[in-house]
Order: sequence, then C-alpha cells, then structure tokens
Amino acid sequence: MRILIVEDERAFARTLARALEEEGFAVDLAGDGEEGLFLATEVPYAAIVLDLMLPKRDGWSVLDTLRRGGRQTPVLVLTTRDAVDDRVRGLNLGADDYLTKPFALAELVARLRALIRRAEGDATPAVVLGHVRVDTAARRVDLSGVPVALTAREYAILELLVLRRGRLVTRSEIHDHIYGEAADVLSNTIDVHVASPRRKLGREMIETRRGLGYLIDA
Amino acid sequence: MLDSLRARLLAWYSLILVLVIGTFGATVCYLYWRSLVREIDLDLARRAAAVAAAVRPAPGGTFDLELPAGVAREFGGPNAPAPYFAIWTAEGELAASTESDPGDPPAARPATRSREGRREAILAAPGGALVLVGRDAADVRREVWSLAGTVGGVGVAALGLSLLGGWFLAGRALAPVSRISRTAAAMSAGDLGARIPLDRTESELEQVAVSLNAAFDRLDDALRKERQFTADASHELRTPLAALWTEIEWALARPRTGGEYRQSLETCLAAGARMRGVVEGLLTLAHADAGTISPMRIPVGLKTVAEEAVVLLRPVAERRAIAVTVRGDDVVVDGDPDRLREMITNLVSNAIDYNVDGGAVNVIVSGAGGVRLTVSDTGVGIAEADLPRVFDRFYRADPARARNAGGAGLGLAVAKWVAESHGGTIACKSVPGQGTTIEVIL
Repeated sequence: MRILIVEDERAFARTLARALEEEGFAVDLAGDGEEGLFLATEVPYAAIVLDLMLPKRDGWSVLDTLRRGGRQTPVLVLTTRDAVDDRVRGLNLGADDYLTKPFALAELVARLRALIRRAEGDATPAVVLGHVRVDTAARRVDLSGVPVALTAREYAILELLVLRRGRLVTRSEIHDHIYGEAADVLSNTIDVHVASPRRKLGREMIETRRGLGYLIDA
Repeated sequence: MLDSLRARLLAWYSLILVLVIGTFGATVCYLYWRSLVREIDLDLARRAAAVAAAVRPAPGGTFDLELPAGVAREFGGPNAPAPYFAIWTAEGELAASTESDPGDPPAARPATRSREGRREAILAAPGGALVLVGRDAADVRREVWSLAGTVGGVGVAALGLSLLGGWFLAGRALAPVSRISRTAAAMSAGDLGARIPLDRTESELEQVAVSLNAAFDRLDDALRKERQFTADASHELRTPLAALWTEIEWALARPRTGGEYRQSLETCLAAGARMRGVVEGLLTLAHADAGTISPMRIPVGLKTVAEEAVVLLRPVAERRAIAVTVRGDDVVVDGDPDRLREMITNLVSNAIDYNVDGGAVNVIVSGAGGVRLTVSDTGVGIAEADLPRVFDRFYRADPARARNAGGAGLGLAVAKWVAESHGGTIACKSVPGQGTTIEVIL
C-alpha cells in the first residue's frame, strides 16, 4: 500500500516513514503543503497522512483543494491541534479520520489500514476466497486454516489484488502501490513477487492478463 | 412586580401625574369658588349699601329704618337663597333683623365673613349702626362640588390614558435594555460573535450598546489571543513529544543494530532539547507574567556576559562557517547576569539560525549615549510586514525554517521581557536578503 505523509517536521517525518515502511507500507514524504498537494493529485495513493500546520499551504487548504478536485483518497489528519472546532473543520472538509499528536504507532497503523479497507469497499479486515483467507489487519494469509509464509512484498501485492478483487490491476498500479517514488524497480520484479504467492496458494488464485496485469476473481 | 424597571418607572410616572392632575383640579375648583364668592360679595355689598342708605339716625342713639319698597322686597323672600339683613346699634344691640339667627355683631367693619354655610357682608351705617346683609351659600358649594366632580372624572380618565401610554412608552424605551441583556447572555454562554444590534445610535442606551460592543470586541480579541497562545503552546510541546514517542516506539518495535539505536537516541535527544527550550521559555514568560521574578541588580560587564553567551554558541556557528564576533567596551550595568546572558544567547542563536552559511554575526556593546547592545547578522532578514510581530510569543515569520532550526518562537519574546525588566527597550530593523539588527538600549 503506497501512502503519502505530508509533514514539515523532517526528523519526525523520517521516523514515521521508517516505522510505516516496516509495517509494509510504501511511503512518500512531502515537506510542505504545495508539494503534498501536487503528489496527492498526481499519484493514486491508498491513503494520505496530513499534518495541518504546514508551510506554503496549510493542511486544510490541501484537503479542500484535493476534495474539490474530485480526489477521494482517504485522508488521515495527524496534528497537534485537538480543539473540537479543528476536528470538526477537518472532518467537514473531507478528512476521513483524525489523530492527535502524540499517538501510538499501532493506532495510526490500525486506523490507516481501516481507512484503506473502507476505501476499497471492505469494512471487515478478513477476506475469504475459496480456501484462502487474507486477514488485512493481522497481515496474515491462511490456506485451508494453515498459515502461509509470505515476504512483505509478496503480501503487499496479494493484499492489493485481494482488496481490488474482480478488477484488473495493472503492473504499473502494483508498482505505484508497492514502491515509494524513490524506488527504481524493473517491472519483471513484480512478476517474481506474484509468482511466489501463486505457487503457495494455487495457480488458479491469481489470473494473469498477459501484457496488462493481474486479477483475482471475486 | 415592582422589581421590574418598567413597573417602577410607571409607578413614579403615575404618582407625579396624580399630583399634577390633583393640583390642577384643586386650583380650578378654588378659582371658580372664589369667583362665585366675589360675585356674591359684590351683590351683598350693594344690598348692604342700600340698607345702610335707609338708616336714619334718631336722637338718643336709636334710628329709623325707611327701606324703599324695591329694596325691602329683595329680603326675606321664599326663594332660597334669599338674602337677609340685620342692623345693630352702636351699642351692639340688635335693632332689626329679617333673620332669626343673625349671629353675634361683627367685630370688624366693613368686612365680609362666612358663617355656618352663609356669606355675609357688614357695612357701617350712619350713626354708628352696623348693617349686615347675608345669604345662604349652599348653591355655591353645590356648584363647586359639581365642578370638582367633573374635573375629577376627566382627571381620572386622563390618568388612565396616560398610564396606558406610559406603559407602552416605558416598554419601548426599555426595549434596548432587553436586547443588550440578551446579547450579553449569549456572549457569556460562549457565543463570542454576538453583538448588540444598533439602529438608533442617538439614544443614550444605544451609546451604552456601542460601548458594550467595543468591550465585547476586546474580550473576543483577548480570548482569541489566549486560544491562539494555547494552540501554539500545545503545538510546540506536542510536536517534539510526538517525535520522541514515535522514535522510541519504532526503536522498541524489534531488535535494532547498535547504529540504529544510536541514531534513535540522537533523535530523541534533539526532541528532548527542543521540549526543554519550549518549557524553559514558557516558564520564564509565565513567571514574568505573574511578576514572581524580580531581576537581580548587581554590576554586570555587558561585554563579558556577551562573550560568555557567544562561547557556547560558537560550535554551532562554526558548523555553518558563520563568524561570531563581540566588540566594544565592557560597559558595566546594574542587572541580572543570568537573564542578560539568556537574552544575548537568544539574540545570537537567532542570528545564527537565520543566517546564510559563511555569514557573520556581530555583537557590539557601546556605552556612549546610553548602554547599547546590538546583534546584527548577514542573514535572510525579516519582511517588513512581519517586523511588528517578531516579539510576539510563538510568532515566526517562516514557520518551517524556524522549526527545523529548533526554535519555538519564544526567544525574542523572552529577550524583550529581559530588556524591559531591566528598564530598557528592544527594537528590530531588517532588510530582507541582507540581514537583521536587534538593538537593546538599557
């Protein structure tokens, strides 16, 4: 899941990015409102973590402009402002969730996952497809009740395909969601990452549309 | 009921109205009575003169009465109020009377008197005789009472109408009061945007409303500033706390290498240092506001203090190749060395933080024309629009830059307090792109 963090505290943003990457997110960083708005408009992020007090363009304006532009990317506002007025304003402008600094990392991760699940149309964390059960909260995959070991990348690709099951997911979409903008990956790396869960979960699980991408049937 | 201002106004109003109508009615009745009595008196005097003219003194103290027939007919008739007369001799004996009870001989003459509901005129006749002509005054009393009844009725009706009008007018006059009280209630309930609507600014109550609105504006402004300050303070404290927290959580999430732990601890230390700066600044300003700090007054060499402050900051400056110099005379002032050092530290570290790499910071102490300390830099400068607010708490011209430089926006506020608590002033001059000069005059 590729996400964007818009945060002007450089040290804090780096720590947060590192922590979220360990949780399996691909993270892009923006240091001010303008850069954040640009990235949020250009890149189809699974979610955006947005600070409110930002240089150049504040978080409210980023949120407002993004929503007016028709972008429905889930936005979690992460801020020191805890006044009720601020929360209401943020939510009214189209924020999907609100977390006050300081916060527990586990809570931020859980909320982000919940936001992404809801945005993809699933309210419950576990998805069952035949014998395969994917628990996106626990990041765990079972085949007929037996846990299947997947690497972080393999799991991330499988999760994206499961969340968008029934729809074709192109290679470039997978690329965008799995790697941050800093990564430079050969496209056949993705094929390698898809091959492994397919081997572990059964060939028919992930369908290949040659030249287009991959698909999991709903 | 009488607690209501409207009712009290009306009570006073009606009291005054009753007094006015009562006095007016009484005066009218009195004047009418007097004019009636005067008419009667004239009539009686004319008759008395006619009777007196008929008195013929006779020898031996007696007299004869030769009333002409026309005059005699006027007395003792059956129709009330028919006049009567009585005549006394000079010795006071009743000589003649058409009335059974003419009373005592009058003491003064000529005169008029009222006796037992009658009106009588007395006239001296030739030969020392006294002539009294009188009549019953019941008809006068009836007329005056009838007038009093009419006046009273009209007065009561006028009073009633006036009270109705007064109630209405008092309500209208007091309407702004209830508007004002409604607004004040909304204000105290937390609606800081509430203002009293003004439509007629010429009335006294509208003047009150204007003053109250101005007071509400100031209150609103003060609360807004207070809120802004709280938001700023919580932001400045929570931001490093969040960095600290997240960093520690990350470090503890799984085993890390020694290098990672070291880096984590450095990040934590930086966050801690920043929190310390904010807390120290806030505490200094809180004490300053509460007036619990009375600065020490001992002789302090200003240049010595400046050099002490600069020594600690030089390593930071050298990392960015910024040259920091202290020049001038070691002017001795009466002051608190710790506070003065804190002030100079804040000014110099700002000058370093907002400088360009390879720039310069000059601290100059001079004793000519008052004690003067200037800190000038070759940095980014401050836009003219921001200059008036640089000494405000938590104010930063460029939030992102200052925050990543580690400032909380309290340094200049503290410096200003130190300068002012030493009886001095602080001022800021700046040219964007060329540099900033802060001048403290003690």
